[in-house]
Amino acid sequence: MKLIFEKSVKGRDGYSLPADLFEDVSIADCIPDYALGAKKTLSEVSEVDVVRHFTKLSKLNYGIDDGLYPLGSCTMKYNPKINEKLSVLDNFVNAHPFSPEDTVQGCLKIMYELDKLLCEITGMDRYSLVPAAGAHGELAGVFIIRKYFTDRGEGRHKMLVPDSAHGTNPASCAMAGFKSVELKSNEKGTVNKEELKRLMDEDTAGLMLTNPNTVGLFDDEIQAIEQIVHQKGGLLYYDGANLNASFGILRPGDTGFDITHINLHKTFSTPHGGGGPGAGPVGVKKFLASYLPSPLVTFDGKKYRLTGDGEKNIGRLRAFWCNFPVMLKAYAWILSLGEKGLRNVSETSIINANYVFAKLKNYYRPAYDRFCAHECVITARDYKQYGIKTLDVAKRLMDYGFYPPTIYFPHFKPHAKETMMIEPCESESKETIDQFITAMIKISHEAKTNPELLKNAPHKTPIRRTDEVLAARRPVLHYDDELKLK
Amino acid sequence: MDPKTLRFTGEHEWIEAGKTGAKVGLSDYAQEELSDIVYVEFPPIGKKVAKGETLVILESVKATSEVYAPVNGEVTNVNNDLEQNPQKINDDPYGEGWLVEMEISDPAQLSELMDDHAYQDYLKQEELN
Amino acid sequence: MRYIPNTEEQKKEMLKEIGVSSFEDLIQCIPSQLRLNRKLHLPEPLAENELKEMIYRIAGENMDFSLSKALVGAGAYQHHVPEAEKALLQREEFYTAYTPYQPELSQGTLQSMFELQTYLARLTKMDVVIPSMYDGASATGEAALMSLRLTHRNKIMISSSLHPHYRDTVRTYTAPHETEILDLPHDNGLVDLHKLKAAIDEEVAAVIVQNPNFFGGIEKVADISELVHSAGALLIHVIAESMSLGVLQAPGELGADIVPGEAQSLGLDLNFGGPYNGYLAARKQLLRQLPGRIAGETVDKEGQRVFVMTLRTREQDIRREKATSNICTNHGLNIVASNIYLSLLGTEGFHKVSLLNTKAAHYLENLLIQSGNFETVFQYPFYNEFLLRSKMNISDVKEMLIENGFIPPLEISRFYRDKIYENVLLFAVTEIFSREDLDKIADLLSVGC
Repeated sequence: MKLIFEKSVKGRDGYSLPADLFEDVSIADCIPDYALGAKKTLSEVSEVDVVRHFTKLSKLNYGIDDGLYPLGSCTMKYNPKINEKLSVLDNFVNAHPFSPEDTVQGCLKIMYELDKLLCEITGMDRYSLVPAAGAHGELAGVFIIRKYFTDRGEGRHKMLVPDSAHGTNPASCAMAGFKSVELKSNEKGTVNKEELKRLMDEDTAGLMLTNPNTVGLFDDEIQAIEQIVHQKGGLLYYDGANLNASFGILRPGDTGFDITHINLHKTFSTPHGGGGPGAGPVGVKKFLASYLPSPLVTFDGKKYRLTGDGEKNIGRLRAFWCNFPVMLKAYAWILSLGEKGLRNVSETSIINANYVFAKLKNYYRPAYDRFCAHECVITARDYKQYGIKTLDVAKRLMDYGFYPPTIYFPHFKPHAKETMMIEPCESESKETIDQFITAMIKISHEAKTNPELLKNAPHKTPIRRTDEVLAARRPVLHYDDELKLK
Repeated sequence: MDPKTLRFTGEHEWIEAGKTGAKVGLSDYAQEELSDIVYVEFPPIGKKVAKGETLVILESVKATSEVYAPVNGEVTNVNNDLEQNPQKINDDPYGEGWLVEMEISDPAQLSELMDDHAYQDYLKQEELN
Repeated sequence: MRYIPNTEEQKKEMLKEIGVSSFEDLIQCIPSQLRLNRKLHLPEPLAENELKEMIYRIAGENMDFSLSKALVGAGAYQHHVPEAEKALLQREEFYTAYTPYQPELSQGTLQSMFELQTYLARLTKMDVVIPSMYDGASATGEAALMSLRLTHRNKIMISSSLHPHYRDTVRTYTAPHETEILDLPHDNGLVDLHKLKAAIDEEVAAVIVQNPNFFGGIEKVADISELVHSAGALLIHVIAESMSLGVLQAPGELGADIVPGEAQSLGLDLNFGGPYNGYLAARKQLLRQLPGRIAGETVDKEGQRVFVMTLRTREQDIRREKATSNICTNHGLNIVASNIYLSLLGTEGFHKVSLLNTKAAHYLENLLIQSGNFETVFQYPFYNEFLLRSKMNISDVKEMLIENGFIPPLEISRFYRDKIYENVLLFAVTEIFSREDLDKIADLLSVGC
């Protein structure tokens, strides 16, 4: 499809300027010569051109409203329409972050109340809503750990991260100056206790865990794990990526975790936006509350205030307070569901995942043959003999109208252990899931009888398979790069 | 170059030791596993490396892979041609796709490496796991 | 529950197919002492109409912002956001999609990234641009970390006219690396070139300056650049008000090495501080040290031009602890927003709106000084923000403005403790203020004191 620059026609405009352009003020009196620049070339298109261009672009995308989005560990669930509408009220949209506190009591109230709700749901004592994404919350979390030990005069240098962990865990550790030490999983796919005992020493700040973990399994030994970590004075970090399986069942705060971040754009239904904005509030137990990034919201019974510039806190992570509309949508979602609704979210998502697993495990060999939590993990290993990779199965699914599951490969064994992580979420009906299962089974037959069909898939999408090698070997990163090539 | 004359590591590097120095590259199996290589990051010439230390970083589209020093030594030359043509590692891993030349400081370490025959057995074992 | 389609009947049916008799069987692995074993204490669920009513009421506890105009900027600027943009952003294909890992179903997002990368490269005159970081401040933190990796030095010099929250963010990001932060003072509101020359040495990785700076002042970037580069350091040129790029010289023309910017002014609403959108531009030699996602052009199987996320090996899911950052989810939807915004404004519109900002700001500054109630603080050229010392009582100023629907300017003694900053206000004026508005403001603030 053409770029907006290729639709440009000299003299066209898509914006109306006010009549009074303050022509009586001379630009020479405003901007000194040393700073005045030439006009920058952008594009010249009308409002109609723009609306058509972006409508057409949007149709090349696949969203959750188009159908199933079973991306494991990404929790792609339905984003309620009412929440979108509430988030664009003028009184929120036009609130300036430096508007006096008296004028933004409504915003502050929502932030304050959301903190309370998240505490009850996860069993933590205080949340900071500052982090802009899950990885940002994780960064806040490891900064807190670092500062906590520095203040105690303990320069702990290492952090334990399970081999199955999401890549952000080790990357966050590195940003906080920790050496991340890989903790091998046991044959059940969960934490290897013996290995943990061996590695957890007094130079280790703690352990970062996801529960259920990245391969969709509840760690039933969390109590023992907690004891090992805490006995050596370490802290236990909860990566909330998979919180969707836990509502009303177990809370990280009750199971020994000291710090957690949660992803509002996964678990709490706020949209992913094609890669954000989401939000990653970071929560802690009382003894760490003074370390939370600033600001926090307090309430004295009359007035809400932004505070939190205490001495211990890790500082600021961004210019302003939070991704406010995301907070509002999460708040509205919790209030719409209540206790029963939240419990139903976890129950249904666990049933949906196990149902997919039960129906597919005879066609795709499971990574771990046991009940899963909110996502199941299967492989296309048995089709390797037909030259089929997991990616081929994923691409073929698009032809059946589904977004493919997450393709996950443990970084230590890229191809040998490629898996598909399937997380159907609570917002998918049995009928949709049945259609997905039927498609997956058909594909497993096609893999044997017509492997080329898979290798060349997808066939019905707006574009075909892409040459990512070319993109990386010869980076063309904006239109002017392309023009130079010509 | 004939793979039969090379020594291999368990991390899939090959080394060809000559009188004055050695050439190091990536095995055919490893280039296939990595798929199309798009970028190569070399060490500075003169860098001293110990066996098992990172020597070169290779990138494919969806993975990076570290090439480790098969033995102790000093980097004396790198295959600059690969910066423009990284695909040579895929096309000719034992020939034009060589990575670095190094001077070996502890020749005895060579005997700890596998010959082609042992390496092929090792690969079979890997596949089964 | 309206968001959960499966009925109790269907759930039972599915449990049967799984081969268990109850949900409990599926979670047996969780020991009972770990369970919550009580109900969550949450309010009763609200019906949609109840929820709507409640949120509208809470919104009513804010000031009525429906027609308000912000005379305050300081990192967040109220510009007009066209309705066509808002309507397009409501398309579910944009806002309910995931990160574009599968290019076959994500060309809308990917092409939009590529187009905004083009716009931002043209505005900043830099070679490469990461189109989304969380915001300008965190992008500046990442730029600081980049400079440490690139130079293997561990001092960073930060201009005192950099937004105080950006300064704090850089401190937070660099704290674990025990980076020494040096303060670069200003002279009359602009970077003190003599002090820069005297203080910079070969241990400084980067010098961070903002242009226009926190006080609104327009820095002599080319002179700063020369001094910075003569010590082998990198120049990090921060842009908090991207609207200024329509009038000012681009950082790429002035010698900047890394340009962390805030795109909020490019079509994003105030939203009480976020989500905004950071960008991170750099010279092409620094490409592989850039954190964050970038789109690149390639072809599909049929040879047509398409876009993919590229140079992915810099990222955390592949590089893990050696990644350039841990960032993954960014503020992607705002890429689409700014892309639409810049397309609507176009070459002429963006230039003219940018001009209008600076002219309207100068018009108001002049009126306020003439009133006799305000005096200048620094002798410096400015873009659309300026400092004035008020002879009036500040709370009176604020109250009068709020009563008339204007969000008051920022008292900068909040950040700067010295005596010269007492009673000093940081005003911002954008294209949303008409001449009548500005005359009215001047009138309101010209009462005897």
